[in-house]
Amino acid sequence: MQHLYRLIHANPRFHELERKRSRLSWTLASIVLANTAWYIIATAFFPKNAETTGLLADIARFWGQPVNEGGATTWGIYIGLVQIVVFIGLVIFYINKANGELDALKDAVIADALRAAGEQK
Amino acid sequence: MPKMNLRLSSALPLSLLTPAASAATPVNTSGVAISFFLLFVCTTLGITWWAARRTVTTRDFYAAGGNITGLQNGLAIAGDFMSAASFLGVSGLIFGFGFDGLIYAVGGLAGWPMVLFLLSERLKNLGKYTFADAVSLRLAATPIRCLAASGSLVAVVLYLIGQMVGAGKLIEVLFGLNYSIAVGAVGALMIVYVCFGGMIATTWVQIIKAVLLLSGATLVTFLVLQRFGFSFEALFRAAISEHPRQDAIMAPGALVHDPLSVISLATATMFGTAGLPHILMRFFTVPNAREARRSVFFASAFIGYFYLLTFIIGFGAIALVAGKPDFLDAAGKLIGGDNMAAIHLARAAGGELLLGFMSAVCFATILAVVSGLTLSGASAISHDLYANVFRPGASEQEVVKVSRIATIVLGLVSVSLALLFESQNVAYMVLLAFAVGASVNFPLLFLAMYWSRLTTTGALTGGVAGLLTAVGFIVLGPTVWVEVLGHAAPIVPYKYPALFAMAVSFTGSIVVSLLDRSPRAARERAAFRDQYIRSQTGLGSEGATPH
Repeated sequence: MQHLYRLIHANPRFHELERKRSRLSWTLASIVLANTAWYIIATAFFPKNAETTGLLADIARFWGQPVNEGGATTWGIYIGLVQIVVFIGLVIFYINKANGELDALKDAVIADALRAAGEQK
Repeated sequence: MPKMNLRLSSALPLSLLTPAASAATPVNTSGVAISFFLLFVCTTLGITWWAARRTVTTRDFYAAGGNITGLQNGLAIAGDFMSAASFLGVSGLIFGFGFDGLIYAVGGLAGWPMVLFLLSERLKNLGKYTFADAVSLRLAATPIRCLAASGSLVAVVLYLIGQMVGAGKLIEVLFGLNYSIAVGAVGALMIVYVCFGGMIATTWVQIIKAVLLLSGATLVTFLVLQRFGFSFEALFRAAISEHPRQDAIMAPGALVHDPLSVISLATATMFGTAGLPHILMRFFTVPNAREARRSVFFASAFIGYFYLLTFIIGFGAIALVAGKPDFLDAAGKLIGGDNMAAIHLARAAGGELLLGFMSAVCFATILAVVSGLTLSGASAISHDLYANVFRPGASEQEVVKVSRIATIVLGLVSVSLALLFESQNVAYMVLLAFAVGASVNFPLLFLAMYWSRLTTTGALTGGVAGLLTAVGFIVLGPTVWVEVLGHAAPIVPYKYPALFAMAVSFTGSIVVSLLDRSPRAARERAAFRDQYIRSQTGLGSEGATPH
């Protein structure tokens, strides 16, 4: 097994795989974190009284604003629902990439290593 | 704006653990609930009998033979996550505070994409039965397994006590059953499922319960929306007119105030979940990384849907239950406390039959979750400690036997502790369980898989420091120092330790690893390359099919 690992490590396609996978994972993970940050801002900085100003307070206040003048449903409700959909969308996006492109590359890397090991025997 | 005078002893969706939840009058003593519940018990015992004949090897016991599909595992993961606490607790929080209950939904759900993007595949490729397998690959196995097993056991036992005390209280309220009998029944059934049926039975109990809970909640939601002509606007309008805080329930900001606490709470829900051993263990029940990914997809979809339902149920309860004398006690509070909001709503929307069904589903939920917890605790003892530290080379039968003994012991311990803590507020134990998940297990797993320079000494220092910080914050914070021990002011003003403990754990591990110049450290760093290739390709994984 160690021998196979050495062969894989020498294969430029393996480094392509790790680069692609880590770019995908970290990009998507940052999107999730950024989306959660909105929640934290809205919950933590919601102004206690009408005089409070500032960017964070304004963002938080926006969440509590009705979508239609005089209506009951606020923007926060829509943002919350959209967020659930966004998270699931990101999961689907990742799985498609991982099952397609990345798995194909992974299989190719393993096949390369097994072939090289066979030739050396 | 009318001010709502509500004090939650814990804002984690486990406020049902407060002694206040035990009201003298049971919500439901009808035979309907008991019949549904007996049906569930008979079915699951049948499954356990079937599973017991298939549970021979350690692989069967810990990982259901690796034969669970992505969809089944996704349902089981969602089931682990959808505890009675998160169903009743989150709908109760929405009932009390409105919009803010959503922070648990979003924090809890956000954990899943993170697990998928960063942990699940690598974990599946590196581990065998427990996450300790993955972290002890290149580090010194004995101390690291001890650390991982302690992290697992501490989280499991604390979470078990929390669930058991909550369960006893809940069953007392729902069925009018005596607390000790309720706790004893939960303990006995859980021991039977895990001891005989291992992971196969535990998974199927979880799947059945997940389907029942999702169907029941869907039905309640449907009936609620029907009342309002399927208009959310009409539902929200009715809720606003019933709730003492009026239109403030549609805006954030009521539940937690200071930014650090909000971030720490979000950290606990996101990374604590990713560090709970009974959930991590589920990734070893599927055959490969592909099915591990599929399980996270199904789990996220079901959990997202579940929170959507919980959200509507919470607002539905404000609109249809709050202010109706039928559901209130003499003091004008909800019978059984805010956590009973969803249960009362089931009766308001669907009558006695639906009430009975939902009560039985909640009982089933508790059973399924405590079984998963017990199984992961038993594997920490038998697989991590017994088979790998104390008696390497023990035979399969011996290890399975030790697992069964460990299950019985854990069951008895948690029942005794639940009886001991009956009248205590145990919400802090659950906070601590999540904090330990986020500050011991998660950093250990993450650094071992991602950071080549991590050494055994570094990992141990960080893990122990994280554990001590979590315990210290809880003991000196508002939940224990003030509410349990009765001091006037907390020494540490923060209720949620996860953020701080996690930071300490990461810093400790990183600094000590960088300073570690021992020959062992050099060997461990050199071994990262092979581990990394295995984590990326799955080559050399346990149970993987050779190409």
